[in-house]
Amino acid sequence: MASLQGFVDQRVLLILQDGRAIVGVMAGFDQKSNVVLSDSKERVYSVEEGVEEIPLGLYLVKGDQIVLIGELDEAADQAVDLSAIRAEPLPPIRY
Amino acid sequence: MLIFSVFKTLTDQRVTVELKNDLSITGVLKSVDQFLNIRLDNIKVLDEARHPHMMAVKNCFIRGSVVRYVQLPAENVDTQLLEDATRREAVSQAKR
Amino acid sequence: MLPLSLLNAAQNKPMLVELKNGETFNGHLVNCDNFMNITLREVYQTNAEGDKFWKLKECYIRGSTIKYLRVPDTLLDVVKEEQNRAREASRNARGGGAGSRGGTSTHATHISFLTLLVFYRARDAAARWARCSTRWSYSGKRSWSRHIIVDHC
Repeated sequence: MASLQGFVDQRVLLILQDGRAIVGVMAGFDQKSNVVLSDSKERVYSVEEGVEEIPLGLYLVKGDQIVLIGELDEAADQAVDLSAIRAEPLPPIRY
Repeated sequence: MLIFSVFKTLTDQRVTVELKNDLSITGVLKSVDQFLNIRLDNIKVLDEARHPHMMAVKNCFIRGSVVRYVQLPAENVDTQLLEDATRREAVSQAKR
Repeated sequence: MLPLSLLNAAQNKPMLVELKNGETFNGHLVNCDNFMNITLREVYQTNAEGDKFWKLKECYIRGSTIKYLRVPDTLLDVVKEEQNRAREASRNARGGGAGSRGGTSTHATHISFLTLLVFYRARDAAARWARCSTRWSYSGKRSWSRHIIVDHC
């Protein structure tokens, strides 16, 4: 059973179908993969400048909008220098 | 159900998942569910330079609806068995 | 914490809802159901580009069209507390007989409490108010059939 149970109370990276990347603490989830994220921040990637982090607060994201939920390794994430990353934003999902 | 069963037999194998947003991720298949949602451990994004977004992520959950392909290790799938099972399932579906 | 329990606890609280098409609705939650269909009151609707605004007295949003909901951060703590209190209350009520059913299984449903902060995104442009008419048909059993027709002037 692929369950999201192991991610509860962890800092996670959520990738949405429109290409957005959101990091936050997963407070809860349900069978349809709807997710509650607290203390969430959107990470906006661009080719010209470093990553911009926009604080968003408490978020309830619909499961059908979610592409991927990644468990963020806090140590590794701290080690990353966001201002140095240059990348295109993730492409949106196309069916 | 059939493909779900195939995935269940492939747990702890390394697979590569290609998503509908063109992202390709390789990882060890830890679990799968009825919606074909996938849990991967020890992941590596194939084109890391283009997608540094997941540098700090080691394990992830991928929603089944966004998967385009899953590349399986050929030696671990018995295609004959799968073909037979598929034919049997098709027969029982037709009967229903 | 289950997302739907968060939503149920958020009744009468303000929230922002973004739809899959990019439109946003700021309003107070009246009611919600298991499909995450919701009704809001005192709603400020904005189009996807952010340049058109409407005020609606009430609206119904089908759950399948929602992309996400933003709720005030304090709601989380408020709902957690409520659930803890409810759990204590029921545990005390049941406590006599069952005795040693110790330790709630926190792993199963991580119940959190949400507090909804009023979250209205301030828009610089002056909001244009449209005359809106919401036509509701009440088909008994407290269920609304959803048809909101918004006329914009």
